[in-house]
Amino acid sequence: MKALVVDDSAVMRKVLIGALSRVNITDVDQAGDGVEAVQKVQENDYDIILLDWNMPNMLGIDALKAIRSMGKNMPIIMVTTEAEKSRVLEALKAGATNYVIKPFEPNTIVNKIQEVLNKAKGSSLT
Amino acid sequence: MQMKVENINPFIESVYDLFSTMLNAKTERKTVGIATTANPRDIMALIGISGRVRGVVGLAFPVSTALAMVGRLLGTEIKVIDDTVSDAIAEMVNIVAGGAKARLNKGDEPPLDLSLPTVIRGGDFSVEFPTNSVWLEINFESELGPFTLRVTFESEKK
Repeated sequence: MKALVVDDSAVMRKVLIGALSRVNITDVDQAGDGVEAVQKVQENDYDIILLDWNMPNMLGIDALKAIRSMGKNMPIIMVTTEAEKSRVLEALKAGATNYVIKPFEPNTIVNKIQEVLNKAKGSSLT
Repeated sequence: MQMKVENINPFIESVYDLFSTMLNAKTERKTVGIATTANPRDIMALIGISGRVRGVVGLAFPVSTALAMVGRLLGTEIKVIDDTVSDAIAEMVNIVAGGAKARLNKGDEPPLDLSLPTVIRGGDFSVEFPTNSVWLEINFESELGPFTLRVTFESEKK
C-alpha cells in the first residue's frame, strides 16, 4: 500500500508516517502544501491520503476538492486543528472520508487509518 | 472582546489537551499576569488569529523544555535546537490556537482564521503590540519542564 502525507509541518509528517507504519504502510510520499499534494496525486496512485487544512500556497480543503474533481476516490483523512463543526461538515461535503482533529492520541489516528482502510477494502469487494 | 478570564480559558484548555494527548505529559497552570518582556533565551512560536477576534498567541519554551517536548513527540532524544525543533514548536502553537478558536466559536459564526506560525529563537528580541492591547502571560509547569503561554486580543473599541 502507498500513502501520501500532506502537512506543512515536517514534524507532524513524521508523526503521521509513524502512525502509518503501525498499520504496515511504509511506502509513504510527503507533500508540504496543497499544490504539491495535487501534483503528487496526478503522478501517483495512493491507497490513502492524510491531509492537513492550513498550509501555504493551497489549503488542504482546496487540495481535497481538486483531488476529488480528478475522479480520485481513495480514502482521504483530514488531520487538522480546524475543529469547528462547520469546517468538519465542509470537508465531508467536499469528499473527505474521515476527520481527525489535532491534537490526537497516537492510537486515535492509527485506529482511524485502519478503519477507513477496512471500509475501503470492504467496498472494493462488493 | 476584552481580555476576560473566560476568553483565556480556551487557550489554557487547549494547552492541557495538547500535553495530555500528543505529549502524554502532565501539565499544571501556575501564575497568570500581564506580560512584560520575553526571555530572549527562550524559543518562541507566535500565531495570529483573525476574524471576529483579532490577536496573537505565543508559546515560549526554555531550550531544555523544547528539547524534551520534541523528543517526547518524536520518541527520540533531541539534543540541539534545530529546524525540527522550530517546526515542532510552530505546530504546537498552531494546535493550541486551533483548539482555542474552536472553543471561542459561537453558534453559526464563521470560524476564526489562523495565520501561519512564526518561530523566534536566539539572540535578543522584543515583541510589541499596540497600546490598546493587553498581553497576558500564563506560566505552566510540566513534567517536560516549564513554559509560558502568551495571549493578546485586540481590545474592544469604546
